[in-house]
Amino acid sequence: MNKRRKFADDVRTVVTWLSTSISVIVLAAIFVFVFSRGWNTLSWDVLMSDYHPENMLVEFSDGTPGHFERPADLDDADVFSEKYGFALRDEIDHRKQHLMVLTYIADDSPLRDAVFAGSGPRKGDKITVMEDMQIRRFDYMSEARGRKSPAGFMGNQKTADETIERIETDGSALIGMFYQSTGGGMRGSLVATLMLIGLTLVIALPIGIAAAVYLHELAPKNKFTSVIRSFIEMLSGVPSIVFGLMGMTMLFSVTALFGITTQSILLGALTLSVILFPVIIRQTEEALIVVPDGLRMASLSLGSSHTQMIFKVILPNALPGILTATLLSISRIIGESAALIYTMGVAINDHPEIGRSGTSLAVQIWTVMTGEQPNFELASAISIVILIMVLVLNLTVKGISSRLNRKWRT
Amino acid sequence: MDARMTTDPMIESPQTEPQASSELDVKPETPEETKPAKQVRMPDPKLDPNSPNVFEVRDLNLYYEKFHALKNVTIDIPKNHVTAFIGPSGCGKSTLLRCFNRMNDLIDGVRIDGSITMEGQDIHSKDLDVVNLRTEVGMVFQAPNPFPMSIFDNVAYGLRCQGIRDMKKLRVVVEDSLRKAALWEEAKDHLHRNALKLSGGQQQRLCIARAIALEPKVILMDEPTSALDPIATAHIEDLIEELKKLYTIIIVTHSMNQAARISDKTAFFLLGDLVEVGDTSEVFHVPRDKRTEDYISGKFG
Ligand SMILES: Nc1ncnc2c1ncn2[C@@H]1O[C@H](COP(=O)(O)OP(=O)(O)OP(=O)(O)O)[C@@H](O)[C@H]1O
Ligand SMILES: [Mg+2]
Repeated sequence: MNKRRKFADDVRTVVTWLSTSISVIVLAAIFVFVFSRGWNTLSWDVLMSDYHPENMLVEFSDGTPGHFERPADLDDADVFSEKYGFALRDEIDHRKQHLMVLTYIADDSPLRDAVFAGSGPRKGDKITVMEDMQIRRFDYMSEARGRKSPAGFMGNQKTADETIERIETDGSALIGMFYQSTGGGMRGSLVATLMLIGLTLVIALPIGIAAAVYLHELAPKNKFTSVIRSFIEMLSGVPSIVFGLMGMTMLFSVTALFGITTQSILLGALTLSVILFPVIIRQTEEALIVVPDGLRMASLSLGSSHTQMIFKVILPNALPGILTATLLSISRIIGESAALIYTMGVAINDHPEIGRSGTSLAVQIWTVMTGEQPNFELASAISIVILIMVLVLNLTVKGISSRLNRKWRT
Repeated sequence: MDARMTTDPMIESPQTEPQASSELDVKPETPEETKPAKQVRMPDPKLDPNSPNVFEVRDLNLYYEKFHALKNVTIDIPKNHVTAFIGPSGCGKSTLLRCFNRMNDLIDGVRIDGSITMEGQDIHSKDLDVVNLRTEVGMVFQAPNPFPMSIFDNVAYGLRCQGIRDMKKLRVVVEDSLRKAALWEEAKDHLHRNALKLSGGQQQRLCIARAIALEPKVILMDEPTSALDPIATAHIEDLIEELKKLYTIIIVTHSMNQAARISDKTAFFLLGDLVEVGDTSEVFHVPRDKRTEDYISGKFG
């Protein structure tokens, strides 16, 4: 090799190196960024709590004071009420607003025994007051004035210290309180995402697999079949927002048959099914191609019918590939947002139902970031959840396909 | 063509029947000679119900799209004998073999004319159920191709396809078939192990067992030992010796020795033509055609 050739060779090598490192760096940067912004927010509570804070007005059955010991493990920032056995702490939320959070309730505290006091059908229901609620106001019997008085920061901002002092010195008994659940969670979207995954797979998998089986095993190998196949391939090039529009206009009439008049998880699932058909058909066909022809011949030569061959030999052997198709589809469902904005809605729903609107995790990111006060921490926390889910799915796919390769190598 | 075949023999076969034998089609190359010869040996199931032939192939032409792969092949396959197909690569042995259980149906663009009758019935006729045909005509392929399931399930596959679920019956048939295929001793202790764990020779015997389980009349074997070592080959050859007492066997082979050892009849093909067919000893020792002699003595091929 002369000098020039060697130089050109080195340049090419360096270019490939650089390109690889750029993509690795970008990927790493995304992870670092998302994790640094979201990791502190992410907790079991955030995963499992509602997004919308819920307002609760409760009354205590027995609000008379007792005597409680401050538990030793309580933080210094917690203000403890010795008469009523609970602790409050001042906190600042992501909107930079002051909150008063209930951090501890003693087992026999009057707060443990509460009933719903708001209006509506739940009136009188027993309520379990939990830690981590934001206390807005206590109602107590005022000793001095002999009537019901409020304490807290409904109208006038009060700190935990002031609030507890007020009810302990001024009050003879607690009547009730007004509080708000913390909110800012992703449980609703998580559940909606799971529903979406389930529904979409139930719709798309059987149809997609059947279509692939038809195209690969049963259809005559002629022009018409190949035209159909290229149409299906073309579908995968259509941007998902277009599918969203189509879902909104065309599939809406399908959900209307079920009496659904709004955007709904079902509509989202139908739209995603259409998006996933090409993916599933493609992957399943790939899996069918891998099944050796010798097995088809063997099956038929033993007097099986075509469908017996498909169900007893081909599909079982294509199963790992079909599983791969399924997992890839799940990744796609988790990551899809554009098609869902029109079909499933953008309003976060803490109690998702199939026939109602809701957001998937990805759309919840969109929603919390487009609000008046973008909640970057929550968005990052959701991103972490999505990234982890997709990562796990992809690793599983890797594992399955390497097993698949090993199976037919001999 | 079909119409002619059903009318002609009515007139012609009575006086020609005693002649009906497969050794006559020595030189099918010239059309003038094949035409009358063909009419002489028209099969007629009504007149000859106890024909010693399982298959009678008449004037079979097969085309892959444009390619003429089998040319005017006329041959009889005698019952409970081993018939060997020999010939250089690409001469159409496998193609003809696949005609017997209609596996060529699966290949797009195949066109067949002429007739093949199995025990008097045209296997291409509309009312023949191809699934039934394939249970009566088993096939063993060149490369062992057991299903990736247990040994037991492999052997029971064909029966289960027929809807037989009775485990007692299945167990009996599986054992019996494995015994006939000389695999029982090796396999009896791990019937539920995956068949892909068997050796190549064992896999091939399993494939034979799987075909036998259906109690076929004919077993087609396409170079069944070409992927095996000499010991496994000897095993399979012994097995074929045994099996021919019960079944009619048609075997394609590239080994002259194998054909000479195990077959009763040998058919030599060249470029889609059936050049010569006759008793194996005759074909090997006193071939009638120069080309057969050249091939057998290794002058080409
Ligand atoms: N599926 C097919 N499509 C087109 N042509 C085919 C097909 N199968 C076989 N042929 C052609 O038909 C001819 C006969 O093929 P066949 O497989 O019957 O040969 P063979 O005698 O079995 O050869 P070998 O001994 O190599 O197995 C060959 O020329 C081959 O190219
Ligand atoms: Mg062949």
